Amino acid sequence: MTTVGGHSLGGADSDPELTPGARGEGERAPADAVAPPRRVRHHWVVRVTHWVNVVGLGLMITTGLRIFNAYPAFARKGESFCCYPFAGKPIPDALTFGGWLAGARNYHFAAMWLLFVNGLVYVSFIYLHGEWRDLVPRRGDIRDSWEMVKFYLFARREHPHQGKHNALQKSAYFAMPIFGALAVLTGIAIWKPVQLAPLTNLLGGYVWARYWHFLVMICLVLLSVVHVIMVFAVDPYSIRSMITGGYDETKSPEARNARPFFWRRPMPASPRSDGGFDT
Amino acid sequence: MNRRHFVSLGASSIAAALGACDSFGPKRAASLLRFAERKNEGLERWLFTSGSRNRVAADARSSGRAFPRYFVSDSMPVWNEAQRGVWRLEVGGAVRTPLSLTLDDLVKMRSTTQKVDHFCVEGWTARAEWTGVRMSELARVAGVTPDAQYVDFQSFDSDYHESWDIDSALHPQTLVAYGMDRAMLGPGHGAPARVHSPVKLGYKNTKYLTRILFMPTRSGGYWSDRGYEWYGGV
Repeated sequence: MTTVGGHSLGGADSDPELTPGARGEGERAPADAVAPPRRVRHHWVVRVTHWVNVVGLGLMITTGLRIFNAYPAFARKGESFCCYPFAGKPIPDALTFGGWLAGARNYHFAAMWLLFVNGLVYVSFIYLHGEWRDLVPRRGDIRDSWEMVKFYLFARREHPHQGKHNALQKSAYFAMPIFGALAVLTGIAIWKPVQLAPLTNLLGGYVWARYWHFLVMICLVLLSVVHVIMVFAVDPYSIRSMITGGYDETKSPEARNARPFFWRRPMPASPRSDGGFDT
Repeated sequence: MNRRHFVSLGASSIAAALGACDSFGPKRAASLLRFAERKNEGLERWLFTSGSRNRVAADARSSGRAFPRYFVSDSMPVWNEAQRGVWRLEVGGAVRTPLSLTLDDLVKMRSTTQKVDHFCVEGWTARAEWTGVRMSELARVAGVTPDAQYVDFQSFDSDYHESWDIDSALHPQTLVAYGMDRAMLGPGHGAPARVHSPVKLGYKNTKYLTRILFMPTRSGGYWSDRGYEWYGGV
């Protein structure tokens, strides 16, 4: 900042809201160099698409289960199906939405656009803006994941060193859009099994495509449920980062050496120490 | 936009907003869902090609007795000749020569036999070998005029009917079927004749057929008027 006689020369430089931590924002450092502390953990596009995703995915799953209940089985009439042990048992109504088959279908075929467009926005954004670097698998992820598992099972004392996410998180967040894309593909295959017969045949025909669509949904549900459990069990402070973007690195799971349900509450920051942590 | 137009538009949008106010959730979403359905129909009609085929292996098993029987009347609709006279299939509307065909007339026309899937809106599929006359053949014989953009398939099963877009109706796999699995159609499957096509969901495939009406506009349908999407394409 150039100043003359203690006075700023004006313009953007004199913005009183610029905090020391944010000063480096103008020149973007290469990803592998040491980045300046982030002011915002998640870009607003990521935050908005995350919550739209909650609504869209919730609608698609609950209406999809209502549609499934119209025929809660997979076999073609007069045949049997190898791989679904709960044939004929409907999903509890409380987990469904749409009221009846037609209502659920109308929601399903509308909400699919919300989720599809939202997914496109999210994936294009993280591709163009660079966030994909925090998620893309790298050599060593398998070993790091194993270290995380050991840590969670108390077979390792210290939290493995991590970047924005730990290795397990990273693979889950990387898998999510892939399962999303598979849900779209298998969904199109059972929506248009005649007009797009080659796609449906590629998936083994209508009966199997419907089964894959169901299994992909199960995977999305499992990923989401584990995600939500882990947020509350390991890093509840991250909820704020997905709403306002703010995140206190001194409360990160690595800083707190946090295992699911086993972590110490960070000490309140006191003026005499920096961050309130023993060093 | 003139003033009167503007006022009426304003009044109707206020009415629409008020209408939306007295209900939450599903009812309020209705206009959005209808909008999505219209857009989806546009996409589905764009995707549709008359060259598309539902192919089933020649040695594939038919569903046989497991093929569900379905009707909307209280009891299985059976054509009563003593009461209603000889069953006839009327082909009319935007055609040069309206037809009135007995079952014999229909059977004597150029026939097609095809083993195809039946896609039910509920998610199940069933297979059968259908014998009948292609809708495109009926349209050719009746001399369909360019006015015909839609086709209504009407039945003697209560007030059951469903209207289709003309492209789906004239798809080569859309039949007016009178035979199923090498036997004449039974009363559980729409005797004497029904529509059968793999390009539409089951509920669009009118059974107990009595009338085929070529039309310049669409006329809804039994299930389409009760909340199921009108297009119902597969």
